[in-house]
Amino acid sequence: MINAVLVFNNSGQPRLTKFYTQLETSVQQRLISEIFTLVANRPNSSCNFLPLPPLLANSSKSTTPGAQHNDTPSLVTYRHYATLYFIVISTSTESPLALLDFIQVFVEALDRLFENVCELDLIFNFETLHATLGEMIVGGVVVETGLDKVVEGVRSQGKVAKRPVNESKGGLTLSGFGRGEVPWAGR
Amino acid sequence: MFEKSLYDLIRGLRNHKGGEREYIQESIRECRKEIRGSDMDLKATALLKLTYLEMFGHDMSWASFHVLEVISSQKFAQKRVGYLAAVQSFRQDTEVLMLAENQLKKDLTSPSLTTISLPLIAVPHVINPSMANSLLSDILPRLTHSSPLIRKKTIVTLYRLALVYPETLRPAWPRIKERLQDENENPSVTAAVVNVICELGWRRPQDFLPLAPRLFDLLVQGGNNWMAIKIIKLFATLTPLEPRLVKKLLPPLTNIIKTTPAMSLLYECIHGIIQGGILASIEGTVEGDEIAKLCVGKLRSMLVIEGDPNLKYVSLLAFESIVSSHPQLVSLHQDVILECIDDPDISIRTRALDLVVGLVSPDNLVSIIARLMRQLRNAPIESALADPENDRGYHGGVVPYADSDDSEAEESLRPAEIRSDQAPPLPEDYRINVIRRIIEMCARDTYANINDFDWYIDVLVQLVRVCPSVKGTTGAMEYTGGGHSLTSDDISYDIGRELRNVAVRVKSVRPEVTEAAQSLVLVDTRDKMFTVSGNGGQGVLEAAAWIVGEYANLATNPQAVMTSLLHPSTINLPNQTLATFIQAVPKVFAHLSGSDSISWTPERKTIVSLLVARVIHFLEPLAMHPDLEVQERAVEYLELMRLSSEAASAQETGDTHGDFADPPLLLTQAIPSLFMGMELNPVAPGAQKRVTPPDQLDLDAPINNSLQSLLRQAEYDSALGSDVEDEVSRAYYEKPSTRPEPVAAADRLEQPKSEYTSYQRSAEEEYLDPDIVARRKAERRERHKDDPFYIPAEGSGTSTPNVLRTNNGEEVDIDSIPIMDLDLSQAGQIRDRSPGPAPPKQKTRRNFEILTDENLGSEDVSSLESARPELVLPRSSAKGKKALLQLDSSGLGSLSLDEDGDHVSKLDIERREQEEAEMAKAIKEVERMRLEMQRANERIEAKHLPPEGTVVKRKKKKPKAKVEGNDTPTVDEGGEAIVVKKKKKAKKPVEGTDALVEGAADGEPDAKPKKKKKRRLISLDEPSGS
Repeated sequence: MINAVLVFNNSGQPRLTKFYTQLETSVQQRLISEIFTLVANRPNSSCNFLPLPPLLANSSKSTTPGAQHNDTPSLVTYRHYATLYFIVISTSTESPLALLDFIQVFVEALDRLFENVCELDLIFNFETLHATLGEMIVGGVVVETGLDKVVEGVRSQGKVAKRPVNESKGGLTLSGFGRGEVPWAGR
Repeated sequence: MFEKSLYDLIRGLRNHKGGEREYIQESIRECRKEIRGSDMDLKATALLKLTYLEMFGHDMSWASFHVLEVISSQKFAQKRVGYLAAVQSFRQDTEVLMLAENQLKKDLTSPSLTTISLPLIAVPHVINPSMANSLLSDILPRLTHSSPLIRKKTIVTLYRLALVYPETLRPAWPRIKERLQDENENPSVTAAVVNVICELGWRRPQDFLPLAPRLFDLLVQGGNNWMAIKIIKLFATLTPLEPRLVKKLLPPLTNIIKTTPAMSLLYECIHGIIQGGILASIEGTVEGDEIAKLCVGKLRSMLVIEGDPNLKYVSLLAFESIVSSHPQLVSLHQDVILECIDDPDISIRTRALDLVVGLVSPDNLVSIIARLMRQLRNAPIESALADPENDRGYHGGVVPYADSDDSEAEESLRPAEIRSDQAPPLPEDYRINVIRRIIEMCARDTYANINDFDWYIDVLVQLVRVCPSVKGTTGAMEYTGGGHSLTSDDISYDIGRELRNVAVRVKSVRPEVTEAAQSLVLVDTRDKMFTVSGNGGQGVLEAAAWIVGEYANLATNPQAVMTSLLHPSTINLPNQTLATFIQAVPKVFAHLSGSDSISWTPERKTIVSLLVARVIHFLEPLAMHPDLEVQERAVEYLELMRLSSEAASAQETGDTHGDFADPPLLLTQAIPSLFMGMELNPVAPGAQKRVTPPDQLDLDAPINNSLQSLLRQAEYDSALGSDVEDEVSRAYYEKPSTRPEPVAAADRLEQPKSEYTSYQRSAEEEYLDPDIVARRKAERRERHKDDPFYIPAEGSGTSTPNVLRTNNGEEVDIDSIPIMDLDLSQAGQIRDRSPGPAPPKQKTRRNFEILTDENLGSEDVSSLESARPELVLPRSSAKGKKALLQLDSSGLGSLSLDEDGDHVSKLDIERREQEEAEMAKAIKEVERMRLEMQRANERIEAKHLPPEGTVVKRKKKKPKAKVEGNDTPTVDEGGEAIVVKKKKKAKKPVEGTDALVEGAADGEPDAKPKKKKKRRLISLDEPSGS
């Protein structure tokens, strides 16, 4: 299952935090900053999988291998779009490559909703950001990966607000984020 | 309206660059005021702002009651804010949850789709067992909601209910199954069910075997790669239980591998084949070889594909899971895998590192290690800035400072890619991991891969230098008894242990190891041996000190070693290391002063006296050391040294030129014999357990029948101070009837203890009483003949290792390697037994003789398995702590989804439903029975009459066959469930399992319904005929 979805920007400021297990706020913040440290030092040519951050590595080491194995978060997947990092922490029941696609769908859905999405949209409409994620993941389990259905689901909850007019700036440039044209598209 | 307010907050943050903290505090104060008001709009807005700030680490747990208020709002937009706040801020200990139940129930039954969704999404975040119980009755009906949107979310929510309260799965499971079996179901819902089953699957795979046909159909139909991936993952857990699935799955999986354009699906297919043990189960067959080759070939091409590090990463993952079962297959691709060790990407490197450990062989060991050593040496030590503990957020909350409007400015914050000639700094844990892996690879199978031990010693010494420094241990360890657990995390201790292992096991390189240890211990050369920055590698000193002590005779410069051991800086070492240093001191001293062939001249007397004085000077302050181990050793050796001092000064010196004068016996005989009597050999960790207690030793027999009352008596005596009130107190305190059996006292004594003392008593006596050591030396030798952990120095003649070496030179005659016969079958005669030769077990490699662990009896696999990892990496034991973020699903493991057996506790909903269902069931059953009777009669007419007694059984079983074959899936489920229940009660357990196996067999997906029915009837008739 998916344990957490995080979005933060290039300087480590959170834009979305969603933990599918209850976690102390301070621990949440520490985890975010640990992951940011890991992710910020990676060149663009690196792969999209992170080693486990110390917080998770220590706790997963302590559990006995085998029985507990599938319950422990073991995979940190991320994608970097313009100014934002999208991170998914998951257990081994998720497929690493499919998660990359999942993030892509998430961003595409946001792009569809906001028409050329950029970080500012997400800052000012973080409720919509949560609603979009809520259409895709419930309780750590993926419920929808179809772009149209996700967008439809969010729109049914009400009009998606536009960013304030005077705040406009370049979007996340969906077509241009490095390896955006996923060759292994899982859809 | 509220968007504007959140907007204001965010804008405000931007306008208060530098003063965010104050601004936020101010805003939170405002929110507190607004949220208490009666204006719902204001309340919701304040809550949204708080939720926004919560994201940055600002506590809002105080607002939990207001969250509920906003949830109960009539407006959807406000309700949504409330639910979002609940999801983001409620924690395990949030107390208002109980109050929320009614609201949740109300929203779950709302006519509006969007409103139902809100609690469905929120419930997984806030659920607790009691809530799960009461909400179940409201959530369950949503499974048949007309909108697929609601249905798919409900399925997942039910899964999360089951995680906190497994029993809820019992009523929910049949309905979820229904969703899966329904072929007209919306594909999104089916996919959601598959996702949930994939999560449940690995816990109780046996419950999901019956679903295999449907899942198989879904897999073959294709169309949804996301779902296919999950199905393959699920099948990987099912195949070990049902080997027949393998044959079934192979063609479609092979087909997918060959045709799919989706890399993720391709990868998961290969991964599933490996994970599900499919490769192993068809090994040897033509098909098996083919599929193995296909998989590995695809993995290789993923590895070499240019420019996609992700594929590299996952293919290494897959190789890793294949390497334990098919090392030869993987080693074919060594060339590309080894390249990945030097990949610039640390994630890929780590994977490759884990992988090569499984690939290592004598031929490639040196080149692999060389690669890794190069990495360690060339990369600079990571700077303190990159240390996660220095990171903001570690010490306190993160302050969201103003967002930059300028994208260029943000862009520039990104660290430039490091592409200079210098390698990027290696993270510390990676460094530690590399060192650990190097040791693991070299030490595998007692150095089976190592051809050149001189090389290995050099590697180890080099590793000491690249050890990362250890943070903040010295201060904390100095005065705490728990220093051990702290230090054992330090990788340099592992290096030290390795050095010691080599010294003990490989006699031919012992001088070289001692030399290396000496250079580590010497204060003068220490600067060169350890890392310049930090205190990395210090842990190796412990083992080094042991080596120079134990093999002091091999040290090239014992004087200097002694000086270093006694150096004032020694006192600052960690306790454990300090204790080892103290132990090494008398050993070196014995070597320096113990010669009995040199005349006791005044010159020698002076030298010895001076040496003794130095040692005493060193030990005296340590006799007061807070650490008990250090203190005890210091005190003991201090006394020994004082005796030596007396002996040295008392002994008459001889003439410098004249006759030979005897040196004091204490120096030449007693002290050396403390340390040099026997060779220390490696002992298998399991050996102690195999020592069988002597027959005469009855560990259950009470030592003293009245021990209990004696102890009790002693307690009272000390507690009361006098026995005046004895009678009275006894009446009050002593429980006359419940007094434990006297036997219990003996039971409580640790059993191994008694054995231990029986073996070690002699040695302890000597330590305690050094004066009589010389006198009892002969006696002791006699005794040690019986000690399984010592090889006698004299006696059988062939068994002295030194003799062996000088006799045979470097070429060791395997047959003459001394092996103690430790067969303790006649444990009773242990004292009288003398050692005899046993067939040698160890192999020699080239000219190196490597001692294996001594063990008792035959080496069985289990003891070896447990022994090996410990040998190299005695890591700190696992803590029972639950992993962070982990969602514990272990509760599901014990829940049976079979509807048999009596449920201890019924859920509310179950009880209610049961009553209704029972009525309906009864009616259905009657109807079915009637039909069945009719058919049975027809069949009886056609066939022979079966024996009387089995008619009942057949009646019970047949409905199942009929229903499964003919009816629509929906009815099918209900019918099957009932029948299984009935059948279980009527039949003997053996037959029950038979029927289950048959059921699974019939579940094979290709069977057409009609055919299935026929087969089933046959298989069911068989047991009744027999």
